[in-house]
Amino acid sequence: MEERIRSLAEEALRYLGAARADRETHRMAEETAELLTKKLRPQYTWRAFRLQREAGGFLMLEAGIVLGGTLAERMLADCETAVLLTCTLGAAFDRMLQEWQARDMARAAVLDACGSAFTETGCDEAGQEIASRFAGQFLTDRFSPGYGDLPLTLQGEILRALDATRRLGVTANESCLLIPCKSVTAVIGLSDRMQPARIRGCGLCGMKENCKYRKKGETCGV
Amino acid sequence: MFKLPTLLDGAMGTMLQKSGMAPGTIPETLNLTDPEKVAAVHRAYIRAGSHAVYANTFGANALKLKQTGYTPAEVIAAGIRIARECAAETGAMVGLDVGPLGVMLEPLGSLPFEDAVRLYAEIMRAGAENGADLIAIETMSDLAETRAALIAAREETDLPVFVTMSFDTTGRTFTGCTPASMARTMEGLGATAVGVNCSLGPKEMIPIVREIAENTRLPVIAKPNAGLPDPVTGEYGVDAEGFAAAMQELAAAGAEILGGCCGTDPDYIRALGNGMTQWAGTAGQRRGSVRTGAVCTGPVCLETDRVRVIGERINPTGKKRLQQALLEEDLDYLVNLAIQQQDAGADLLDLNVGYPGVDEVQMLPRAVKAIQAAVDLPLQLDTTNPAALEAALRVYNGKAAVNSVNGKEESLATVLPLVKKYGAAVVGLTLDESGIPDTAEKRVKIAEKILKRAEAIGIPREDVWIDCLVLTVSAQQEQAAETLRAVRLVTEELGLKTVLGVSNISFGLPNRLLITQTFLAAALEAGLTMPIVNPNLPEVMNVIAARRVLDGTDEGCRAYVERYAGTEEKKTTPGAEMSLQDAIRKGLRKEAGRLTAGAIETRGEMEIVEQELIPALEKTGEEYEQGKVFLPQLLSAAQAAQAAFEEIRGSLVKKGEKGTERGTVIMATVQGDIHDIGKNIVITVLENYGYRVTDLGKDVPPETIVREAEEKSVRLVGLSALMTTTLPAMAETVRQLKALKTPPLVMVGGAVVTADYARSIGADFYAKDVRDAVKITNSVFS
Repeated sequence: MEERIRSLAEEALRYLGAARADRETHRMAEETAELLTKKLRPQYTWRAFRLQREAGGFLMLEAGIVLGGTLAERMLADCETAVLLTCTLGAAFDRMLQEWQARDMARAAVLDACGSAFTETGCDEAGQEIASRFAGQFLTDRFSPGYGDLPLTLQGEILRALDATRRLGVTANESCLLIPCKSVTAVIGLSDRMQPARIRGCGLCGMKENCKYRKKGETCGV
Repeated sequence: MFKLPTLLDGAMGTMLQKSGMAPGTIPETLNLTDPEKVAAVHRAYIRAGSHAVYANTFGANALKLKQTGYTPAEVIAAGIRIARECAAETGAMVGLDVGPLGVMLEPLGSLPFEDAVRLYAEIMRAGAENGADLIAIETMSDLAETRAALIAAREETDLPVFVTMSFDTTGRTFTGCTPASMARTMEGLGATAVGVNCSLGPKEMIPIVREIAENTRLPVIAKPNAGLPDPVTGEYGVDAEGFAAAMQELAAAGAEILGGCCGTDPDYIRALGNGMTQWAGTAGQRRGSVRTGAVCTGPVCLETDRVRVIGERINPTGKKRLQQALLEEDLDYLVNLAIQQQDAGADLLDLNVGYPGVDEVQMLPRAVKAIQAAVDLPLQLDTTNPAALEAALRVYNGKAAVNSVNGKEESLATVLPLVKKYGAAVVGLTLDESGIPDTAEKRVKIAEKILKRAEAIGIPREDVWIDCLVLTVSAQQEQAAETLRAVRLVTEELGLKTVLGVSNISFGLPNRLLITQTFLAAALEAGLTMPIVNPNLPEVMNVIAARRVLDGTDEGCRAYVERYAGTEEKKTTPGAEMSLQDAIRKGLRKEAGRLTAGAIETRGEMEIVEQELIPALEKTGEEYEQGKVFLPQLLSAAQAAQAAFEEIRGSLVKKGEKGTERGTVIMATVQGDIHDIGKNIVITVLENYGYRVTDLGKDVPPETIVREAEEKSVRLVGLSALMTTTLPAMAETVRQLKALKTPPLVMVGGAVVTADYARSIGADFYAKDVRDAVKITNSVFS
């Protein structure tokens, strides 16, 4: 089996808190990851925008979006350009998950987690593409609305700036939830200077109050 | 009316951006704030030769304009006025441009279908009132939303309607709709022309245009982008000359209404116009050349050019367990019947929910929606209630089949107009006011009459399927041969496709299957296209598999070989008999069901539940708490128990005894929240502890939850929320529930919910995981 599928399955089980489950469960996760990767691929779109420092934060010039707050301040401190990114598994995943829930809830739970992990790999792929288009520049960590104090209301604005509803079929509802369900919006800063890894540990995580890993004294590894 | 071929305009949005529209501006507001910017774009296209321009109204819907303070009516009135003034120069036509609403419809999102129709109706009315010459519904990716828009256009106006969707490089829309399904559905609903716009460059569009052209009689539209934009510079990749050259190929593939989308400008349209004498020659040659009938859903377009199996299982007649499910509004049970038939090889599914005590007008559309959320097969809506039929046709996503119309005047007058309006196919039963004729010739006469009446109101003949009616051979023996003869006559003389409810033939005889199989083979030989059968019977599907080999549709006998490969070796491995508890804990569904069925013969149902099912679930639950088993295993065990429960319920229903229910719990994902797998996991497990769960779904307003809790006077309500943005909705729901005279207990959970938060909003319990939810429920009902 491909390493890529195995690691997707491992990641999914980790999301489910089932990394130590029996062999049967691991096999189920691997089968699920394999089926998923055969059927779907993460799709993404990104665009670079110039940043202009303003009183309320960073204005992304061609998008008309302001990234305010302390997270953006820290992440983009050295940046004159930043990329907005949207990545999604698409509506086909939602349908697949719906059908699997009707067939087998255990597999559906695993598929759900595999979908999350797969979307992350799509973001990583986009990150590599961005890095190669901006050779010689340094990328900050990827960060998203909902991290730290970066508001979830940015989701809709990012979709608009990228025309992501037209380009990828991603929408946000009134509660700022993205549809299809496995969709991500993110910001990556670009700088002439080497960028340290800033998003590590639990400090910025919106889930820190309720994280099942933290409760056990572990971390999710991000 | 527009003339063919037609030269449309190019992009509006990217043109406005180039002319200095501020970033973040909603482009349609320029109609009121800076009309000259908009007029400049129209004028440029008209001078480049466009026969029609689309007004700047793409996003002029109530949802997108909410922030701006403008209404769709005023934005649309201004937009059309600007375009009209510019068009006066050449007499070009003005289109009302209509794009997606920007939010997702059910089941993917939460916008109900009828709300979408209402939002679009407002737009269409404004367009017609302000003098648009045509309506252009474009850049759509969801078939359901496109249907809503076209239905609104048809109900509000008489204008020509162009419908185009956006397809990606996989040849599907983002929601999985195929070009064929789009073409079939939109032609059925009364579009004037159909096609594709945006998303791709002209070269990538060729296969999509070809597929659309092969599936419609209507003129085909192509409005590609100028390639793809560069993420760094924002520039599009294909220039005007390259664009015009590639468009020649699109014309050859069948497009005859051409224009441009994002990244194109007047130079592209001029280049396209210059080449028009060339493309006008080839365009339209393919129109209407290929014509087979079809029904479809977004992802599946099923042509009726060969044997297709209609699954008959979702029909409550004589099925106690399904009757009970319908009375209890247990739609999951119906979805499971649909999935079983899909797995067994059905091509489309008959759907009948008619049973005393069931409100068909409510239930049929609900069943359609529930099944379509999980199953891709087309449905055949089977009802004698015209109101239920219309309600179901309205929400059915795709092109449905209707079962049925017959030769009676009343039936023809009520059913056919609905079939026409919603663009369905229809089964015509060969009976009339004097009953079922006893000769084949008389049945063919009725078929002819139905066909004539259908064609008279514009239903194409390939959408009329004839059911020559199967009578029970043990009662009317001579009729079997008449039915077969009628099938042959309808096939050969009328050239229509036929349907038969095959299983009827053997009623009342021993070894029914043999009679059914033999009759089915004979009927297929006589020309039967769509047998209605139970696909779960392998013996029946064996006949179909063999037929497909013999008539050549199973190319290279591939499906046949696959069906039977390895069956020789497939023997059940004998071994030590497993206990029911083991089967459940290991998550073996079939085994658990089989062992329960066996146990019922010697032990009482309740005894099995109490001594086997619950202890097995408890043991797994304990191991889950101890970290010895994990969520997937817990769920597998729950599902094995479900299979066991299903046997027990079936047995109790047969005996007419009451169920095993321990109490009713309401579960819902709160308003604004659409991620509901966590809640569904809890439901799966709770049901296996014998609780009846009323699942209100996702994105549920507090009022709905409160009303349901009050009506059912439940003791426990479970609420789930996944996002910080939806926590206030959870708090509000709890507040309203607690304001009831006899408030229920409330348990809350979900990724962002904490014990402290639960306390702070007045919830009675915080369930940290599924196991916790079970314990809480047990404590409430103990």
